Amino acid sequence: MLEVLLLFGEAVMLFGALGILRFPDVYTRLHAASKCDTGGAMSIILYLVLTMDAPGIVKAKFLVLAFLIAMINPMVSHALARGAYRYGVKPEVVVDMYAWDNP
Amino acid sequence: MAQEGLLVSAFYLLVFTAMLITYRVLRGPTLPDRVVGLNTITTKVVVIIAIVAVMRGEYYLIDLAIVLLMVNSVGGLILAKYMERAGGA
Repeated sequence: MLEVLLLFGEAVMLFGALGILRFPDVYTRLHAASKCDTGGAMSIILYLVLTMDAPGIVKAKFLVLAFLIAMINPMVSHALARGAYRYGVKPEVVVDMYAWDNP
Repeated sequence: MAQEGLLVSAFYLLVFTAMLITYRVLRGPTLPDRVVGLNTITTKVVVIIAIVAVMRGEYYLIDLAIVLLMVNSVGGLILAKYMERAGGA
């Protein structure tokens, strides 16, 4: 029954990779990358923690890894989006709300 | 056992998606595209290392995964700061 977690993680990883391949500009690709990294990786690591037979300290290390992924990954995505905007890449959208606040 | 086969299939699927994103790293039109692709590939490598650590029963590899994740985050932040300061694509 726990295999649902692993299959969900694999599906999220696969569709995130397809999104990175097919989306039109940096910001939509960043959306797909951030979602597939955080959700898929945490789901797969949670499956590994729940099914393996190992001492408790090893399971604690896996949980620390999942916590670090949940903390670090959105931070890096945010910094990359701001860096790409300041670098000069304009988003291919109709409404650019970031430019209203930061002229 | 069945669980071993599931883990092996997850390993191969992660390697396959990393090879798909390698296209975006090589052919990305701008610099931020390549940085996004490299960050995604490194997170996939962290998950691959965790799966191998469970599959082979060698649990010291998880320390390697944690260190690789931290180094990747610092590298991403430094590249973002560089892009912010460089300006003018």
